[in-house]
Amino acid sequence: MAAILLLGGWQAMALSGLLFRDVVPPLGALAAGLWNVIADPTFWANALITGGELLAAVLIGGMLGVATGLALGASHVLSAAFERWFTWLGPTPKIILFPVLILFCGVGPASKVAMGAVSCFFPLVLSTAAAVRGVDPVLLRVARSFRARPWQTVLKVYLPATVAPLLNGVRLGFGVALIGVLLAETKLSNQGVGFAVMQAYARFDMPRMYGLLIVVVGFAAAVNVALGHAARRAVGATSKKET
Amino acid sequence: MLSVANVTMRFGTPADGVTAVDDVSFDIRPGEFVSIIGPSGCGKSTLFNIVAGLQPATSGQVSVEGAAVRGPHPAVGTVFQEESCFPWRSVIDNVAFPLELAGMPRGERHDQARHFIELVGLRGFERRLPSELSGGMRQRVCIARTLAAKPRLLLMDEPFAALDEQTRLLLGDKVLQIQQTLRQTTLLITHSITEAVQLSDRVLVMTYRPGRLKRFVTIDLPRPRTAEVVTSPEFGAAVASLWADLREEASRGMAEAGG
Amino acid sequence: MRRIAPLFGLLAICLLIVLLQFAIGAGIVDEYTVPRPTAIAAALPRLLAEEGILTRFLTTVAETFAAGAAATLVGTGLGAALYRWPLMRRSFEPWVAVLAAAPLVLAYPLFLVLFGRSSSTVVVIAFASALPPVVLQTVAGFSAVRPVLLAVGRSFGLGRAAEFRRVLLPAALPSVFTGLRLALMFGLINVVGVEFLINLGGLGALINDLSERYDLPGTWAAIGFVVLVSVSLFTVLDGGERWLQRRR
Repeated sequence: MAAILLLGGWQAMALSGLLFRDVVPPLGALAAGLWNVIADPTFWANALITGGELLAAVLIGGMLGVATGLALGASHVLSAAFERWFTWLGPTPKIILFPVLILFCGVGPASKVAMGAVSCFFPLVLSTAAAVRGVDPVLLRVARSFRARPWQTVLKVYLPATVAPLLNGVRLGFGVALIGVLLAETKLSNQGVGFAVMQAYARFDMPRMYGLLIVVVGFAAAVNVALGHAARRAVGATSKKET
Repeated sequence: MLSVANVTMRFGTPADGVTAVDDVSFDIRPGEFVSIIGPSGCGKSTLFNIVAGLQPATSGQVSVEGAAVRGPHPAVGTVFQEESCFPWRSVIDNVAFPLELAGMPRGERHDQARHFIELVGLRGFERRLPSELSGGMRQRVCIARTLAAKPRLLLMDEPFAALDEQTRLLLGDKVLQIQQTLRQTTLLITHSITEAVQLSDRVLVMTYRPGRLKRFVTIDLPRPRTAEVVTSPEFGAAVASLWADLREEASRGMAEAGG
Repeated sequence: MRRIAPLFGLLAICLLIVLLQFAIGAGIVDEYTVPRPTAIAAALPRLLAEEGILTRFLTTVAETFAAGAAATLVGTGLGAALYRWPLMRRSFEPWVAVLAAAPLVLAYPLFLVLFGRSSSTVVVIAFASALPPVVLQTVAGFSAVRPVLLAVGRSFGLGRAAEFRRVLLPAALPSVFTGLRLALMFGLINVVGVEFLINLGGLGALINDLSERYDLPGTWAAIGFVVLVSVSLFTVLDGGERWLQRRR
């Protein structure tokens, strides 16, 4: 941890040197830029819009993804028939769908939500399907031996046993949804954090752009860490003890 | 050949620690086959790591041919308990690994490797990858690899522990044969009494925590031995006497573990 | 049933496309949002002849491979360094994880200022986005090498360098390859994304062009083409990865 502080100090020296005149502002200007962003009410208005879009995207894309993943994970036939398509589409660049999504949803926030939801959908399908298949068959046999009904099996075995990988899936999905929403905003929008970044670029206001980027990276990292932490705790609670 | 003098190994802080090995001393003469047996948790594997030079002892000294061991010694060959074939090398390249390190040209080292592959009975499997072999075969590859370095002292840490009973017996037979052809000085660490009696000239019994040497037992069975040796009355007597010693230690271990 | 299921899946998707064709024909789906599948197919030769899709394809592929190769090399090196020096790992790995989770591509205006609207901007952004995941993957791969293999190396008296070359690297090869796969995946996503966003260069820019001209069948056909490119790339990479892992 001390090394991190040291790194910070060293980096400050490197940055304050005149490497690239305006592109690498000294730390003071960076801090000022960051402060200006945080103190600026229009930033919070933009953040609220982006946050709302992101939330809607993760909810819509996530729920559709989990439902699809559950179906694929539970049925060998469905999985054999369709899962490869999702695996194939998973790593393709989603942003190219944006022009089409604009046609469907218009130029407003809805197209950004759609962009995020599409991005978020694929990782969740795949991680949910894998999670369902990863449930220890012994646990399912136990449930059957106690004559658990199907809904009880889902509620008492599948769900608790898959919490950890599901949270990890949400973590991945959240990351790509954030990228999808923000990029869509930089492309075509008049509000939101992505739009604010483009505005700073157009005015060549580097400290402000850095400030925005730092806030976004910090937010993404915080959510990522929180979800990762929750997933690890869930692993500790549900998995067998290590021998 | 090998001399272990007052070796002690402690883990943790002086106030709150475990003494895994406590003041152990013994010698092995050239050509001798010695086994160390003891209940699980008696510090056998720690002793193994110290003798192999993979871990320094807290105090005491290990020397091979008069030279103190301070790291892996070129005259010592080690066979590990876990699966330790290189999965990316074929059988012959696994066995030839130490020769390759010595800078031997390919043709020559493959010829030598073939000899050791034959010795462990894996002829015909030279080009296979370890993933295509059974667990017992893979362990034989590891033994051949260690032998290929022509160690003057062979160390084996429960090399059969991960195998099933039948494979174990057959592999024990193989080791016996190798021992008789090469007159290989060997230190075997095991928790199996029959294995120890079947293979060894002498057996050292270790106590449970702290690991001390409890007793030396000389096994007076005639050589060459075969798998049939296990049916002789002398064999039965040696096993019974060792079992009496071990039972005491093992039950102490179980009581302490709260099991 | 499981044998023919993939065929069934393919048929179901074909059926869906045919249904779509009729739905548009019947006016249930708006033709100015989703063009007829036949129109999309008909647009492909036009893309080949008039829009130079092949040159654009080569541009995108070259940029992707440049970024991916650089990220694999640098990432594997950095990963090995972090594995080798635990203190460095403890201080830097959390930051690498932060960067891996961050939407770095959002910084593209910054790179525009640095490198201008050029191919190098595209490559550098793709490289920067691909690097952190590759580093994490490599460190994890090295850490997962079974300790007994390292003990074998040491028992034969291997030094640091020989241990790395003869034990660590071959043992971690599958994860290094996974790193390469990640690098190319992030590379392709970001290359196409940035091309689309700044309207420069390869396939991403083509989609942007076509959509700005409201050439719907062309846009859809180009999207289909990108999907095809990425699917074939990852099929090859997945095959390679599975082959490497089967040897374990």
